[in-house]
This record gives sequence, C-alpha cells and structure tokens, in this order.
Amino acid sequence: MKPASFEYVRPGSLDEALDVLHERGDDAKVLAGGQSLVPMMNFRLARPAVLVDLNGLGDLAYIRPANGGLALGAMTRQRTIEKSAVVRERAPLLAEATPLIGHVPIRTRGTIGGSLVHADPAAEYPVVMVALDAEFTLARKGGTRRVAAADFFDTYLSTTIGPDEILTEIRMPSVAPRAAVAFVEISRRHGDFALVAAGTVVDVDGGGRIAEARIALGGVGPRPVRARTAERMLVGQRPTAALLAEAAASVMPDTDPPEDIHASAEYRREMSAVFTRRALTAALAKLGVQL
Amino acid sequence: MKLEGSHDISAPRQKVWEAFLDPEVLRQALPGCERLEAMGDDEYKATMKIGVAAVKGTFDGKVKLSDKTPPESYRMTVEGSGGPGFVRGSALISLSDIESGTRVSYSADVQVGGLIAGVGQRMLGGVTKMMADKFFGKMGELLHTAA
Amino acid sequence: MATMTVSLTINGVAYRGEAEPRLLLVDFIREVCQLTGTHVGCEHGVCGACTILMNGEPVRSCLTFAVQATGAELSTVEGLAAPDGTLHPLQEAFREHHGLQCGFCTPGVLMTAIYFLRENPAPTEREIREGIAGSLCRCTGYEGIVRAIAAAAPVLAAPR
Repeated sequence: MKPASFEYVRPGSLDEALDVLHERGDDAKVLAGGQSLVPMMNFRLARPAVLVDLNGLGDLAYIRPANGGLALGAMTRQRTIEKSAVVRERAPLLAEATPLIGHVPIRTRGTIGGSLVHADPAAEYPVVMVALDAEFTLARKGGTRRVAAADFFDTYLSTTIGPDEILTEIRMPSVAPRAAVAFVEISRRHGDFALVAAGTVVDVDGGGRIAEARIALGGVGPRPVRARTAERMLVGQRPTAALLAEAAASVMPDTDPPEDIHASAEYRREMSAVFTRRALTAALAKLGVQL
Repeated sequence: MKLEGSHDISAPRQKVWEAFLDPEVLRQALPGCERLEAMGDDEYKATMKIGVAAVKGTFDGKVKLSDKTPPESYRMTVEGSGGPGFVRGSALISLSDIESGTRVSYSADVQVGGLIAGVGQRMLGGVTKMMADKFFGKMGELLHTAA
Repeated sequence: MATMTVSLTINGVAYRGEAEPRLLLVDFIREVCQLTGTHVGCEHGVCGACTILMNGEPVRSCLTFAVQATGAELSTVEGLAAPDGTLHPLQEAFREHHGLQCGFCTPGVLMTAIYFLRENPAPTEREIREGIAGSLCRCTGYEGIVRAIAAAAPVLAAPR
C-alpha cells in the first residue's frame, strides 16, 4: 500500500519544529530516520495528518564527550554511532548493540532518537539506555525537561514523551574504566527483531569480587526490563558458574514475554535466563574471568 | 487468543452487576468508545477509536450481552472492523463476592485479524491484555466514584 | 497536499519532477524518472529490493519520501554498466556465477554489494553472507550471490 496523504513540514530549526508541534502536536508525527514510522505509514497503520521532518536539523546530530560519558544528539544516525571510536571508548555497550540493529541500509537512516521514541519492545537501544541509566532531554516550545530512561519507556510503542515534545539529546553516564560490557540477542535471522536481547555491564574489583553489575533485557515485556534482583545477587560476590546461573534464573519472574509465531512466551522466558547468563559470561570473559 | 484475568472492585455485587450491563457505563469504560447505540435486545452498535501510539484506527461494530445469570455471570460478545483489521471477542464475565467487594473474573476468546494481526503479531497478545486491563480498570474507577 | 518540486541526480544525471509528499522515493525513481531497475518488494524495509545508494550510502528507497531526497545524489543499478553497455565487474561476476534467476532482488543486492565491497574489499565468506543478509532472495538460495560477490571482490580491489 502507499501512505495516506499528509501535510509535510520541514522545519529549518528546532524552534520552528517545536512551534509546529505546539500547534498541531495531536495530529502530528515527528519523522526522524523513518525506518520504523514509514513502514507503518506504508501499511496505513499510522496516518498522521502532519509529518514534521527533522532531517534538516543538522544541529541535532552529534556525539560529544560529556562528564566522563557521552552526549548524543537525537538525530545521530545509527551507522555513525556504529563507526564512532568515541562511542566505542565511552559507551561500549552502545557500540556493541548497534550492529545488531537491522541491516546497514536501515542504520544509515535510522537515528538513535527515533529508535528510542518508537520504543519497540524488542529494540536494542532502549535496552542499552535502561541498563546504563541514561538520561534524555525533551524539548517543547518554552522549555526542556530531563527524563531518566527508567521513566521514559511506558508500554508497547509508547513512551512518556508528550505530543508537543521532541527528544533532543541522550546523555550516557561514564562507565567504570575497568568494566566490561556485552550485548547478546537471539533472533530467527540476522537483523530481525530480537526474540530476547540482553545487555550487561560488569566490573570486578582487585579482590576478584563483582563491584558493579547492570543487566537489562528486551523482548520480554512491553518495555525493557532492568534485572535488579539479579544485579543485587551478583554485587559483592565472586563470579562462579553457579552464581551466574542463579542470577540468570532470577530474571524470569520479572518478564512478561509475548507470544507469536516465532517463539512462545515460555521459550522467551527461558531465553531471558539463558541470555542473561551468556551476556554475563561474555562480559566476564573480557575481564579475564573464566568460570 | 485466550485471555483470562480478574479484577477486584470495591463495590457490592449487585451494583457491579448493574454497571456491567449499563450501556452508559460500558461506553465510558470501553477503550476509545465514542458511541454505543442501543439497538434493542441487549445489542449495541459501537464506534471505537483504539490504538497504541501512532497505530490508531476506528472500529465499527457490535457489542452484545447474553447468557445472563444475574448477578453471577453473563457473556459479552464484541465484533468490530476498521482500517487496521478486525476484532472478534467473546468473554464470559463472572462476579463473585469477596471481603472488599466484588471479584470480576473474565475468560475471553479474542480473534484479531487483518493488517494489525499480521504486522503487529508479536505485540497483539500484550496489547489486547492491556486493553482488557484498561476496560476493567475503568469499570472499577466508575463504580468507585458512583459508590 | 499539493505537490512539491524534487530535484536530484541519479547516476550523475539531473532529474526534476513534482511529487506529493507521500510519494515514496522508489516510486519517484520508477515512475517520475522512469528508471525501473529499482524494485518495490515489501514496502516496509525488510526485503532489500528497493536498496539504492543515496549520497554514497545504502538506503531503503521505500522508506524515504521523494521530497526528502531533493538535492541528493542517487546511484541505482542503471548506473553500474558503462554507457556502451559493458557490464560492471560485479554484474559480470553475477552473470558468470549465476547470482540471479528471476532478477527481482538483484538490483538491491548489487547496490548493497557495491557499498559492502567498498567498505570491505577483501571479505570472508561469512562476512559476505552477513553483508547481504538485508536482501531476501526467493530463487537462488544465496549460493550464487555469495560466489559472485566473492569473485568480484579481488577484481574491484585491484588497482586500475
């Protein structure tokens, strides 16, 4: 099918874009990379009356060091993130997750902001943000506000962004220099939406005990799941295969996985534990810890 | 797909029974329901605007209440079609007394077809459950304010 | 909404046409510019048949509106062969190694491969398979495609 008609606006500045949303926010949809929105429009599942194209806002695409971590403009292309040495250095979990998003042609247009606001429950970036406690800047006419990733993702394809707001910046905190990351996922084919995805950051101190553990899961509920029970089990302990198995099993009750032709809910629930364990094992291996 | 669940409402069973059969209450509780027109014989014509985020559609259809065993149980059948697809559901709604009021249990069989079913398959179960939760949650809210 | 003027270049040639905002870039290329080499497959970005290069990078032309591409330099499959019809080495390799049967996915595969080999001039077989994973082929089972790209790689990498 072809998209339904819409009014097309291409603002030349963020202020202009915010003005349009202030007027027409309820009928308007923001167009970033278009890799998730345009398919829905092509199916006529989404029929916004107004499309506000942000692709003219070059100012919203940037990758900058900030407070030991990273600040990314919402319009930064996923492919740019994929190739960035700064991202590899300061936000390694983001670097590791990015090549798993679709395929190259998707990533050349897809943006980090678009992916986050689209909030597909099986997408990689929301998982990364929840794992790292990232912070988002939302702008509207007359002001901005900051929202923590944990408070941003609501349910399927829904976030707490208002109809008159635009996500402008993503702030990722610094990662302990010693920490290792791993992002793993399972899908039927390379590039498909993940059935289950797991992102982790692990830090082990000089005494061989886990100093920090962050685990987030995607595809197992309406929004990313932060596995805090598992994290608490791990911190302060020496990593062993038994400990990892126990921590991995503890994520399952926090999941509410969907069911479709690709996998049952039960399978996804099992995989949430399997991939938590695999992610932790992979991260620990990078620290030279063999279990 | 099969959906099952229950909601506890802090209101006496008779009041809950009446509310669940009151089209005016149902209209306010059914997600996105803009119109619920009585056609007689416990059958209503409905217009519902439902969706998640950018995926919104208007569904035109029917709501029928049947198999009434007051104040214990009844069957609600919903049928609607619109741009994104069609929905057909039949739910057995049972009421039982609990200490704080009434427990409303539902056991439903829902079929979703058309475009949303194909494209949105992996979110369908979750979204449908969310809609059901919204409906029962709103019913509880309305009964609370009425009480 | 009323139409807007779209001006862009395709394979070095300037094109100018009118487009409703809702007109997809792939449809502009095919119907307004009359270049039907680029194909419409799934219309939701999954099959890869519509893949072209926009300002040198692979893009799903079914997920871009024509009005967004004004001012861009596009490369489509029609630009691969030389003006006298001599096949591009990649096309030659596809011909020799049976990299196509019905040809429907082929333009998208070729444009993806052009970019892929530019980024990775000496790929392993595994890398080639991953590199074309975004293009779905119903005919070949991908073997001929992989062989063709593997054969073309050294030819394209060689200094000319």
